[in-house]
Amino acid sequence: MANVITSDNFLNDEQTKSLTPLLNCIVPPDADSGMPGAGELDFIGYVNEFAPEAAAGIRSELDELNTAATEEAGSSFGELSGADQATVLEILRHRNVRFGRAIVVQAMACYYQDDQVVALLGEQSPPFPEGNTVHPGDLTLLDPVKAAGRRYREA
Amino acid sequence: MADDVVDVLIIGAGASAAAFAWSMADTRMRILCLEQGDWMNPADYPSTSKHWQVRRQIAYNQSPNIRQRDTDYPINEDESAVSVANFNGVGGGTILYSAHFPRFKPSDFRVKSLDGVADDWPLTYQDLDPYFAQNDKNMGVSGLSGDPMIPYHDMPLHHIPIGKMGDAMGRGFNKLGWHWWPSDAAIISEDYEGREKCANLGPCNSGCAKGAKSSVDIAYWPLNQRLGVELKTRCRVREITVDENDMATGAIYFDENGIEHHQRAEIVVMACNGVGTPRLLLNSTSKNFPDGLANRSGLVGKNLMFHPWGMVEGYIEEGMMSHLGPQGTCLLSQEFYETDTARDFVRGYTLQVTRGQPPVSVATNGMLRGDIPWGNDHHAAFKRYHGNSVLVGICCEDLPEEVNQVTLDPELKDSNGIPAPKLTYRLSENSERMMAHGLARAEEALEAAGAFQITPFGQVRHTGWHLMGTARMGGDPSRSVVNGWGRSHDVKNLFVIDGSIFVTSGAVNPTTTIQALALYIADQMKNNLATLFD
Repeated sequence: MANVITSDNFLNDEQTKSLTPLLNCIVPPDADSGMPGAGELDFIGYVNEFAPEAAAGIRSELDELNTAATEEAGSSFGELSGADQATVLEILRHRNVRFGRAIVVQAMACYYQDDQVVALLGEQSPPFPEGNTVHPGDLTLLDPVKAAGRRYREA
Repeated sequence: MADDVVDVLIIGAGASAAAFAWSMADTRMRILCLEQGDWMNPADYPSTSKHWQVRRQIAYNQSPNIRQRDTDYPINEDESAVSVANFNGVGGGTILYSAHFPRFKPSDFRVKSLDGVADDWPLTYQDLDPYFAQNDKNMGVSGLSGDPMIPYHDMPLHHIPIGKMGDAMGRGFNKLGWHWWPSDAAIISEDYEGREKCANLGPCNSGCAKGAKSSVDIAYWPLNQRLGVELKTRCRVREITVDENDMATGAIYFDENGIEHHQRAEIVVMACNGVGTPRLLLNSTSKNFPDGLANRSGLVGKNLMFHPWGMVEGYIEEGMMSHLGPQGTCLLSQEFYETDTARDFVRGYTLQVTRGQPPVSVATNGMLRGDIPWGNDHHAAFKRYHGNSVLVGICCEDLPEEVNQVTLDPELKDSNGIPAPKLTYRLSENSERMMAHGLARAEEALEAAGAFQITPFGQVRHTGWHLMGTARMGGDPSRSVVNGWGRSHDVKNLFVIDGSIFVTSGAVNPTTTIQALALYIADQMKNNLATLFD
């Protein structure tokens, strides 16, 4: 589901237009595996439900991004071509290596708990009730440990 | 009913209380347990929700200071190198524990005699052996018998699967010629006593929705209640009361509406863990006990022990799906458990191999470290790390020191206005040297297993799962708080049965030893009923 503007959108118009392309720069779609881009998921809905305290940091980072885009390419990030977006991000991340941390943390939590993504990873979500199959282990590997004999101290 | 006198009043409904109450139930005495938290509903646990990886971060966080449920009490940890992990509810810490269930070893009870440090316990491994076995049966413990690092004992259930990660690490340990063994786990690997076997959900440490993890709200309390033990929740005890003859008379507690009650009792049993018990005793001041109840030795709250915990992470590219399976239990190595005089420290540690991280943690940590990039290479990089992480914990034996202690914070209080505990704790030089040794050996083990990107995190602060030593056992009333079977030296009808009474800490998770000790104490009480207060 694409990002949509909802009544509980905590971003302004300019921030909203920049969010989707930024998320797709962080995790782009992958045609081979069928993995979606992070911008295709309901990031705003996720943050509202699970991390509302992160909203301020996300807004601040989007403002930082749009300021850099305007300085370097004359327009806000969402208005730029894909090539210009990549250039702006490269400059910004070179200048501030910590740029995007608030967004990345929430993007990873949103992305890697998404139904489609989790299914493509072959995971159970939620883990209960199906659970997982785990290899029992090769107990013959313990033969040398057993052969070493008693190891604890008598007391 | 609050004014009735019960025979035995237990404070706290965690691991020790559950085992103790089960044993005492056959006396047909009236037994009442007061618990400040709630019964848990497994349907609410995070693993029932697709957003389990974030849902566990707050409401099921191991830290009461982060969790901040109204059933929690705050802890001042500003002066502690380790922060507390606990849970307040029926089941106590077992609600969030990983259920790694190794026993203490014979040498752990003879530290002074063998190594000239700390003190010997007033009992031995052999004394506890039958109680370990009984508790394994009651809890439902899985494991592989025959570990050469512990006296032979039969396990009720076969071991938990170690997975491809266990095989990889086992081969690594074999290459080094080191001991290793699948972990004992208080998790049922087969259907047992009406419970369904473990389905390898993974996140045991945010509560087991399956009921396969042997938290004591599942394994003990329903049975205890059928046997007649009463359990009241949302009862937060403020103070143990005492008469002019130095006998405990009961406890004052707040109910869920904040109404104060005085529950009278013939015997009072403390089971609030190594922080909660000294907190309550120190809060119980009176004319005869101005420094806190049962504290004529001055040792209540002193000798706080954790297990200083180190962590090393690595990745093994074998498609292991290492994050699946019970999170805290895979295997352990006790190659460096016993004292070796060639090393620069006494006593030793366990290397504990636990499952890898789930997808959100792998992605977030990888992105923040720069190992998983932004852009087109993200997916390939994520795939390299996902399911391949291995964590090796270093569980160091902590030795008792009086400077490490629980006191009462002069300002911080819980929601009922009861003074909160304050911790003062630092690692000793012995622990620091042991930790350095353990971190290096964990790296070595991961290298031998073929891991890449091995990252030692050093000593990790948020690892205060094991709370011990703050009301220690012993024969000398000037050097201990309780005697060899948990009875206060100063108050003859007051008992302590939780990790507070540990004399030393061993180098393994303590829950099975805490419960065996609780069963042992219950038997001692039953065997000495006629002279219990002499």
